[in-house]
Amino acid sequence: MSVVWDQVALAGVWGGLVAVERKAFLQAMLSRPLVAASVMGLLLNDVPSGLAVGLLLELFFLGTANLGASLPENDTLAATATSAAAATLTAATGAGSTPAIWSLAVLLFIGMGRVGRRADRLLEGHSARLARVALASAEAGNLTRAMRQNLWGMWPHFALYGALTALCALAGYFVEPLLQRLPHVVVRGLAWAWPAMASVAAAIAAQGSHARRAPLYAALGAAAVTVAIVLLLLTERA
Amino acid sequence: MSAGDSALTAGVLLRVFMRSLFLQASWNPQGMQNLGLAYAVFPALERLYAAGPAREEAVRRHLVFFNTHPYVAAAIVGGVVFHEERIARGEEAPDRVVAFKAALMGPLAALGDGFFWLSLKPAAGAVGAALVPLLGLWAVPVFLVMYNLVHLLLRVRLYWLGLTLGDRLVEAVARANLPARGARLRTVAAVCAGGLAAWLAVTFGANAGGAHAPLLAAGCLALGVASYVLVSRRVPNYVVLYLAALLACVAGAFL
Repeated sequence: MSVVWDQVALAGVWGGLVAVERKAFLQAMLSRPLVAASVMGLLLNDVPSGLAVGLLLELFFLGTANLGASLPENDTLAATATSAAAATLTAATGAGSTPAIWSLAVLLFIGMGRVGRRADRLLEGHSARLARVALASAEAGNLTRAMRQNLWGMWPHFALYGALTALCALAGYFVEPLLQRLPHVVVRGLAWAWPAMASVAAAIAAQGSHARRAPLYAALGAAAVTVAIVLLLLTERA
Repeated sequence: MSAGDSALTAGVLLRVFMRSLFLQASWNPQGMQNLGLAYAVFPALERLYAAGPAREEAVRRHLVFFNTHPYVAAAIVGGVVFHEERIARGEEAPDRVVAFKAALMGPLAALGDGFFWLSLKPAAGAVGAALVPLLGLWAVPVFLVMYNLVHLLLRVRLYWLGLTLGDRLVEAVARANLPARGARLRTVAAVCAGGLAAWLAVTFGANAGGAHAPLLAAGCLALGVASYVLVSRRVPNYVVLYLAALLACVAGAFL
C-alpha cells in the first residue's frame, strides 16, 4: 500500500470548499451529494466511484432540509468522505472501480453525515463568539472590524471539513488490505448490496419528496420505466 | 420610486447584492443571520451616513436578530436599502426598517423553505439522479444549470423588487404563486425517484441474473417498496439501508 498524498490533499481542498458553499456562501448546490461526490471522483481520477456514490447519497439525503435553526445531517461531508474513500480504495487495489468498493465505502463512511452534524453544532459556538465580537466592536465604533467578523465564520468550516475529508481519503488506502482479505462470496454479496442500497435510497427519496401522493407518483414513474425497458428489450430481441 | 432615483450608485447596489451571498457566513444560534445582514448592507450604509454616530446607529439596527431563507433574504436586503435611503433623507423614522424586517422575515422564510428546500431542491436532485444512467457525468452540469437558473434569477429578481418596491414587494412575491409551483415540483421528484428505482432494479437483474434476471429485478423492486413502507412508519433510514445491504450481501453470497 502506498499513499498518494496529492490525492489526499486534493480531497481535503475540495471537501473544504464545498463545506463553505453548503452554508456560508452562495448555496448554488455544488455541495449536493451528486455534485460534490462526482467532482471528487473527477479530481481523484475515479469518475465511476464518484458518480455511483453521488447518485446513491443524493437519493438518500433528498428529503433533508435545513429549516430554521434545525440541523440536518451533513450530506456534503457524507458525500465527499465516501467518494474520496471509494476513489482511494479503488486506486489502492490497482484495478478498476467496482460495485463492491462503492458498497463498502458507503457502509463505512455514510455515517460521516452524523459526524458532520455534530461538527456543525460545534462551529455554531465559534460563530456565536464572532457575533459577540462584532457587537462589541460596533458599540465601540469600530464598524470595519465588526463587519469583518462575518467572513471569519467561513474558515473553520473549510479547515474542519477539509481535514475530515482528507482523513477519509487516507482511510481508503488502509481499508484496501481488508477488502483483499474478504472471501470471494462476501465481495460478491457487497456487489449485490449496491443496487439494493440504491433501490432503498430511491424509495427514501420518493418518501422524502414531500409530494402529496408520493406513493402513487413513484409507482407511476416505476411502471413507466419498467414498461419502457421491457419494450426496448423486446424490440432488441425481435 | 425606481432604482434610477437612488442616491446609491449601481456599483454600491451590486456590492450589496454580492455581499448578501455571504449572509450565512457567521450563522449563530443567538442572532442567526444578523451579522450577515449587517455585512451585506454595510456598503450602502457607508454611502448614506457620514462616519460617526449616525452610521454606527444604522449598523446597530441590523445587528439585531434576523433569520429568513437565504435566497429570499435578497428581497429583505433590497428592502432594507430602500428604507435606509428614506431614513437617511429624513423621510422615515428608523423604526420603519426594523418593523419591515420583523414583519417579512418569518413569512418569507416559510415561502423560501417550502419552495426552494422542500420542492426545487428535491425535484432538481431527483431529476439529476435520474439522468445519471442516460448522461453519466453530464447529469451533474444539467442538475446545476436546472437548479441555478431558477435560484439565481429569483434571487436577483427578489433583490430588485425589494430595492424598488419596499413594503409593496409582498404583493409581487404573492403573484409568483410559489406554493402551487412547489407542489408540481414535488410531484416531479416522486416520479423521478420511482422511475430510478425501477431502472436500478431492472438493470441489476439484467447484469447479475442470467436465467434468474426477472426474479432478481422483482426482488430489488420489492425491496424498494418495503423500504418505502418502513421509512413511512418512521423506521430510521440508516436501519433500512443497512438491513437491505445485509440482505443483499447474504443473497449475493449464497444464490
